[in-house]
Amino acid sequence: MNLPPCFRFQPALAAVLLVLAGCYSRNDVKTEGGAVTEQQVENDQTKMPRDNAKVAPDKGAPNVAVETDAAAAAPLAQVNVFLEVSGSMEGFMPKPGADASNTRFQQQVAQFLSELNNSPAASRKVYYRIKEKPYRDSYQELSGTVRGGIKEPASSTDIPTVLDTLVSNYYAANTVNVLISDFIYSPKNTGAIPYIKTDITDAISRTQRTDLAVSVYGFTSDFQGTFYPAIMTGARKVPNCCDTDIPYYFWVIGPQDAVRRFEAALLAKQPAQQVHYGIKYPRPASSLLNKYQNKGDWYYGEKTASKREAGATYHTVAVQEASAQNPVEFVLGLNLSTMPALYRDPAYLKQNLKLVGQDTDAKIVNVAAATDQTRASSGPENQYTHFVKVRLTKMARAARPLQVVLNDARPAWVSQWTTQNDSNINQAGPKTFAFASLLDGVSTAIVAGQDAPVFQIPLTLEPAK
Amino acid sequence: MKSFFRFLYELIGSPQPPSETPVYREVIFPNVGLLTLGVSLALVLIFYYLINRAMGVATFNKGRHWAIFLIANAIIAFIIAIVQCNSQQVAEHSYIYWLATLNAVYGLLWFFLFSVILRKGSTNASTTPF
Repeated sequence: MNLPPCFRFQPALAAVLLVLAGCYSRNDVKTEGGAVTEQQVENDQTKMPRDNAKVAPDKGAPNVAVETDAAAAAPLAQVNVFLEVSGSMEGFMPKPGADASNTRFQQQVAQFLSELNNSPAASRKVYYRIKEKPYRDSYQELSGTVRGGIKEPASSTDIPTVLDTLVSNYYAANTVNVLISDFIYSPKNTGAIPYIKTDITDAISRTQRTDLAVSVYGFTSDFQGTFYPAIMTGARKVPNCCDTDIPYYFWVIGPQDAVRRFEAALLAKQPAQQVHYGIKYPRPASSLLNKYQNKGDWYYGEKTASKREAGATYHTVAVQEASAQNPVEFVLGLNLSTMPALYRDPAYLKQNLKLVGQDTDAKIVNVAAATDQTRASSGPENQYTHFVKVRLTKMARAARPLQVVLNDARPAWVSQWTTQNDSNINQAGPKTFAFASLLDGVSTAIVAGQDAPVFQIPLTLEPAK
Repeated sequence: MKSFFRFLYELIGSPQPPSETPVYREVIFPNVGLLTLGVSLALVLIFYYLINRAMGVATFNKGRHWAIFLIANAIIAFIIAIVQCNSQQVAEHSYIYWLATLNAVYGLLWFFLFSVILRKGSTNASTTPF
């Protein structure tokens, strides 16, 4: 071993360099923002020479596991935003006048685009203008169109074609498509009007997507420009429109899991004018509350109830006595904070929360949202955003299941925003032609008549032992 | 054992408010019952075997001395119930005092029964209280 000293340390040096190289590449992958593929990490390892493999696995193996776990909760891979720029949209995006006034559409959409562009919830954001087909834009260009008006409006866009394009060509795992449009669908002739629903169903179902979900958010805006009604029995267009607000919509289209996460991240604060098709929500956290507006002789039937562990939840009602004179009332706390605003709306919940049970006269008597008082309470009610109060006066002799089910019914605003004739829009008000039929088409394509409840919470009613 | 204490303490009706029933049945009744039994036994042993046998005190074996221990035991039983309810943080309710009163009565009963059984072993007080 008469080698010069620098050569003697060469193997060790090589090993250190290789380990460092491995670390670097892994860091690099991390900073890409969760778009981690196991393949990349594996490639890094296969590049390492054999003798280094003894050092590397100890560090490498746990890293891989951690990163794939993180990928499950990682941001969406991509969000595509499509803004319709046909002539009918010009009234939403008038060129800025001398008085620097803008429409609510401009205000709201520009803000949404900005929030999306700055959001960490999606790794990649791509913007398109929709004319006869989508044209790629940058964020600045699209936002500029919203603020400054449409440069070259398209003559018209056909809604079924647009939907077909999005579902067929832009559907991808972990990706959502947001379509911003007024959704005024004018069939070629009046004979086609009864088939609007079928046209939409066909457009969405042409490419079979088993996991497809569509969410629709409705907004209204003032409108300064030419309005093109779908029904052209009167004027073909209404210039200098409108005295009334005009609705516009965000349609969020993609795999149900991606749509749900996108909405939770970016559309959670929108008002309750929304409809959701095909999204499966995880069962919300819930518990019976034995010291919140409770009445009558009942207690938690769980064996563990006496331990009163912090954070424990209860779903069994042990009823000692229930009669017309001495009814039992219990409250189920629900945490709906991760649900869209529609399913947090007490009015919607009052109408669509139902009890499914046997041998009982249990009824929901009230649904209330959390108040400052419940949020500030030291009891378990501070965990919940909504409270469902159930009353019963009769009890079976043995334990019976009782389910609290939220039915997925069409919200009332859809019919209120629908008109069958928009030729005189100033009298019709803020309504969209055949909007309910469009949604019927979506519903048929996605739900296919099998109305699954939004969620169901199983409870047990049992006589006290 | 749990069902025995539950039977004893629910003679005055089921626990109030009803929402606290599991805590009373699973925790408070057994605790209070066992503590009261234990304390009653201990006081009986002190009266008959410590004071009136081991220590050989000759002037503390009358019926009124026994009654002092009997009443003290009832008061302790009352306090045991209140303390147990408070330490389990059950909702405030007049039921707690009804339960404590019932427990004081059981304290009297246990003390009397233990006295009858154990008095023969005492040297100075084998005929107290009768």
